[in-house]
Amino acid sequence: MPRMSEPAATSREADALFELVRGRYGDRLTPEQLESVRRGVAAIVEHAAALRAVRLDNADEPVQRFVPFRADE
Amino acid sequence: MNPVFRSVRELSVAVRERRVSPVELTDAFLDRLERLGPRYNAVVTVTRERALDQARRAEGEIAAGRWRGPLHGIPYGAKDLLAATGAPTTWGAAPLRGQTFEHDATVIRRLEAAGAVLVAKLAMVELAGGMGYRQPNASFTGPGISPWGDDAWSGGSSSGSGSAVAAGLVPFAIGSETWGSILSPAAYCGVSGLRPTYGRVSRHGAMALCWTLDKLGPLALTADDCGLVLDAIAGPDPHDPSAAARPFTYDDGDPTRRRFRFGMVRGIADGAEPAVREAFAASLETLAKLGTVEEVTLADLPYDAVTRTILSAEAASAFEDLIESGAIAGLTAPEDHYTPYARDAILAKDYIKALRLRAHVMREADRVLSRLDALVAPGRPATAPPLGREFRDLHRPSRDPMGAIGNAAGLPAIAVPNGFSESGLPTSLQFMGRAWEDNTVLAAARAWQAITDFHLRHPTID
Repeated sequence: MPRMSEPAATSREADALFELVRGRYGDRLTPEQLESVRRGVAAIVEHAAALRAVRLDNADEPVQRFVPFRADE
Repeated sequence: MNPVFRSVRELSVAVRERRVSPVELTDAFLDRLERLGPRYNAVVTVTRERALDQARRAEGEIAAGRWRGPLHGIPYGAKDLLAATGAPTTWGAAPLRGQTFEHDATVIRRLEAAGAVLVAKLAMVELAGGMGYRQPNASFTGPGISPWGDDAWSGGSSSGSGSAVAAGLVPFAIGSETWGSILSPAAYCGVSGLRPTYGRVSRHGAMALCWTLDKLGPLALTADDCGLVLDAIAGPDPHDPSAAARPFTYDDGDPTRRRFRFGMVRGIADGAEPAVREAFAASLETLAKLGTVEEVTLADLPYDAVTRTILSAEAASAFEDLIESGAIAGLTAPEDHYTPYARDAILAKDYIKALRLRAHVMREADRVLSRLDALVAPGRPATAPPLGREFRDLHRPSRDPMGAIGNAAGLPAIAVPNGFSESGLPTSLQFMGRAWEDNTVLAAARAWQAITDFHLRHPTID
């Protein structure tokens, strides 16, 4: 499976996403807790980078398949 | 007879032959749960009244010649994420200590239909570990303690399911696994723990942590007992669309007559603790008596990122109310008060990418396993960690590629004891098979236990 080149530095994305999280929950958290959340966001961005580094084909579907619903079936 | 540390198979024969009655068995295990359960922080609720009702019914039926099968009259414990009427279902979480349900989980109903006797709701890591705990003390019942050491964690999140079986408080227990929650307590407590194929067992009535990863399965003294329990709880369920319409009948035929073909991912034990590496190396020599062991390689895929992203995103949604309301501040582990907030940073496209990559993980695992009966690996890379210390850094990749792959792909696996460290803590061996090959991994584990005696060793309790 072809892989994309290594992801570029992700710190700006992590910073932006952390600001979103801080805006939502910052008033509940101590500075130490916020710092831990910052590291958590950085880990999530690293995982995302690992996922994005793998190139998939257009036809590669998610494993969950949508099935239309009828109550009588 | 003394029923403690007897397999379900042995107890069943004794019950059927009326050498011991279901009420005697139930009394014996109720006594142990009440007397010894607190020592291991293993129990949330002893279901004495319900247990004695079920035991008397079983006794009457068996006396009348209506034997339901090998679980008839056999006591068991259920992880406290399974709804059961007449007792709280706390999910291990202090804010939910008073939570009750007016129905039984499908697994509880099926075990009742098989004649089994529910004696306890067993302790668990709060919310099955879904908030990102990093330490053993992550339940309102206290840190789960392995009967093999005063300062040894029982593993999680099915903590009480592991320690109660290991301490002889119940003959078997039901646990759940999203990623590691059956295999870890089985390993740290030195018992057998089966993670069935995803969809083999209905989760109706079980707490949802992660809809596409959650599985329910048994922990017991032997792999054979795990098969007996799986036979009773497996099958489709109109209340759980993930429960597959694939029939399952436990095949308890002699496994030692077959030659197994095992695989081992190259370097799978390299990062493990020395005691685990040594036990695994010795196990490979023993496995050669049962068949062949070959090294295999897996395609370079981001296994850890796939499983971690799916788990974190689905858990964030499953517990959206608890997280956004701030109620997680009432949980026991301090890190569970804030770790989940970071998950708002998971983008929808990355979750979908993980689900698309999951299909490749499934195909890659099946490519490797289609030529094998099972992949073998250490059940855990370390023995039970001490109670007072953090045991992982959630921000770094895990050392559990088998868990990442096996859970993402929904594959069956069983952990069985395979040795002890110098300090007397158990080590573990896992067999992971192709999807729906639950009988194959059970056969491999039973063959292992036919030529080893680690599962016959028990901690000193009384």
